Amino acid sequence: MMLARVADSLYWIGRYLERAEHLSRVSAVMLNAALDRADLAGEATQMALAALGDSKPGRLALPVESARALALDREREGSVVVSLSRARENARQVRDQITTEVWERLNMLYLRVVDVRANRAFNADAPGFLQETIADLHLVMGAVGATMSHGEGWRFMGAGTHIERAQLMARLLKVHFDKSLQPAADDHLALVTLLRMACALEPYLRVYTADVAARHILEFLLFNEEFPRSIRFSTGCIEDHLGHLARGREGYCGEPLRLAGRLNARLAYAVVEDVEAMGAGALLATVESECATIHQALHDTFIDYPLESRLPA
Amino acid sequence: MTPKSTQKVTLGHTGRPEGYVLGAAFDEMFSPDGATRKEYALLRERISTLGQEELADRQQTLERSFLLQGITFTVYGAESATERIIPTDLFPRIIAAPDWERIENGLSQRLRALNLFLADIYGAQQILSDGVVPRDLILGAPSYRREMQHLFVPYSAYVNVCGSDLIRGENGEFFVLEDNLRVPSGVSYMLANREASRRTFPDTFQQAGVRAVERYPDLLLATLKSMASDRRGNPQVVVLTPGVYNSAYYEHAYLARLMGVPLVEGRDLVVHDNRVYMRTTDGVRRVDVIYRRVDDDFIDPLTFRRDSSLGVAGLFNAYRVGHVAICNAPGTGVADDKAVYAYVPAIIRYYLGEDAVLPNVETYLCRESKQLSHVLANLDKLVVKAVGASGGYGMLVGPHASAEERAAFAEALKADPANYIAQPTIQLSTAPCLIDGTMEPRHVDLRPFILSSDRVVVTPGALTRVALKRGSLVVNSSQGGGSKDTWVLAESAGETDA
Repeated sequence: MMLARVADSLYWIGRYLERAEHLSRVSAVMLNAALDRADLAGEATQMALAALGDSKPGRLALPVESARALALDREREGSVVVSLSRARENARQVRDQITTEVWERLNMLYLRVVDVRANRAFNADAPGFLQETIADLHLVMGAVGATMSHGEGWRFMGAGTHIERAQLMARLLKVHFDKSLQPAADDHLALVTLLRMACALEPYLRVYTADVAARHILEFLLFNEEFPRSIRFSTGCIEDHLGHLARGREGYCGEPLRLAGRLNARLAYAVVEDVEAMGAGALLATVESECATIHQALHDTFIDYPLESRLPA
Repeated sequence: MTPKSTQKVTLGHTGRPEGYVLGAAFDEMFSPDGATRKEYALLRERISTLGQEELADRQQTLERSFLLQGITFTVYGAESATERIIPTDLFPRIIAAPDWERIENGLSQRLRALNLFLADIYGAQQILSDGVVPRDLILGAPSYRREMQHLFVPYSAYVNVCGSDLIRGENGEFFVLEDNLRVPSGVSYMLANREASRRTFPDTFQQAGVRAVERYPDLLLATLKSMASDRRGNPQVVVLTPGVYNSAYYEHAYLARLMGVPLVEGRDLVVHDNRVYMRTTDGVRRVDVIYRRVDDDFIDPLTFRRDSSLGVAGLFNAYRVGHVAICNAPGTGVADDKAVYAYVPAIIRYYLGEDAVLPNVETYLCRESKQLSHVLANLDKLVVKAVGASGGYGMLVGPHASAEERAAFAEALKADPANYIAQPTIQLSTAPCLIDGTMEPRHVDLRPFILSSDRVVVTPGALTRVALKRGSLVVNSSQGGGSKDTWVLAESAGETDA
């Protein structure tokens, strides 16, 4: 049992931290890809922007300018600095519910990215700045796992993390596979870039060796049961978290779990051949919209429920 | 660059450093002849072994740790909001055991009397009938809450948490300057400063025999639980905050965390059938005790200010029928009003038959015509304060004001004398602070924290507020004030407090 407002804040901390990490990584990879090959810069930038749900970016700026905007633009919805500010603001509101270790890691990271020197650090070494941000985020998440009780609050945070992660991964794959599967299929560097953006290069190589193929990548990022950033892994985590939250509660609290279970089953029992045959787009769109539905159900069940139904007679 | 060794010499050995100029005020660390007072001997010795750089390093570490912990307040600018830490000085202020004993007795006596006074005011009003305190002064005060009349308050403990402001006059005697009986703040700084100074001077801290303040959160929780009126098994306590934009938000979250109770906002609570519930992920849960950090005016829009969005509609009715405890009780402000302050020694005598252990600062009530003419004749020597105002507003500091300002204020005084009191300008005592790398005296006050329900407990520690501008007597954090840790020494040095 915890305050509904607190659960909401914890859930959003999970989402914002995940979003900040993804954006940092995608931007860093984009910068490196642009160094490797100029013509890759366009696609890489588009993939990066897609993470913000920005599917039709207008004029494409230089990769380094895009990266700066994605990282440090305080006016830009979804930028790293905005996500971290929101995560930290939420953490401040539930300061009594998270551990000092978590708070201090997050606060330190926040102070670093809003510092007046952040811009200078970014100019001097943008990939380095972004890598450091990712490393700091890992420290925050590490502190969450290692110091917080794995109870209700942690479950709300975890549900937020994985709903966000599944959506971001779905968007990333959509940009890559939806429209131009064939031209990209043999483009080794483009595929490696995709794996890097998903933080999946090394785990992928260990499963498929250096055989980098579009089909394997799709299979790995959609269905791998062990890789923590595959969509299948995230839907499994969402189901697990919501299952724990529903346990011991009245029947209507099972609705988010039912939705999560249904989504997870879709991924657990799918095969890559079908996805290939029908195009990945449909499944990815389902993942995105189902995650949004689960988000809404969680909100309506635990956070903003109608009061009349819950007051004692 | 000067080598470190010569810098140590500039700080002197164990007496007063050369640059440390004593003024008319009482100095906490050095007696007028320049010798170090006994309670500061260990600290003085330690400081003399540290170079300027080492001190500056420690000061920096201290500030960094406050920033990391998020012990900040927000300054709202035109476009952006920035967070600042309240400046914190690394040298602790030290209070000897006999001085503390007097403070403890005095504060405990004072709070017992003020609680009896509140019970009387909101009950039979005997003290008004006996003419000890003027009736119109109480019943006409905006902080008097008619709604509280004849309500039952357990142990007559209207004030559960009190944070009195003490100052030390030129002869070293402690005075009470103000009783804060509404929603006093600052206790988190007391605890955070302690945490920090323990790290800044670890050995000295241990050797000096400093009394512990760390039990404050559990004593506070016990105090709050004892106020539960329903006597249900384990009362649910919550801390009610106005929200994250309040300047004391850090403290609200800090206390909730250390007590292990939910930190709620008005929107988390709902009143149904005169019972208070909080919205949880598991439906609604009953609340028994509310430690509110929201002013009277804002706790219930149905009873008090209707435009308040911080409170809970119907809360006061739930309180009235005894289904929830609110701490401090609404209406306690009537006893810390600046005009009522002048009557506190009489109030103590009336209820306890004792003389006040801690004296008041001499106060002239302008509502009395004789005292008014004295005030008007001595405007250049006095501080005049409006009764209802706080935080330095509606105030004239005679010695620092121009002739025109004094003349204008005299008119305001004559037009509404009952609204003003006057006090002599007091030189607050000074304590050493690290200013630009050297030790300099700065004026300080003292805010101890007192808990009260079935008994009164004075926490053996306090928040020492510092006026960081040279010569300034204003310690408020909004006007360039800072703070430092306060060490209350156990009976004999070297013995740690149990």
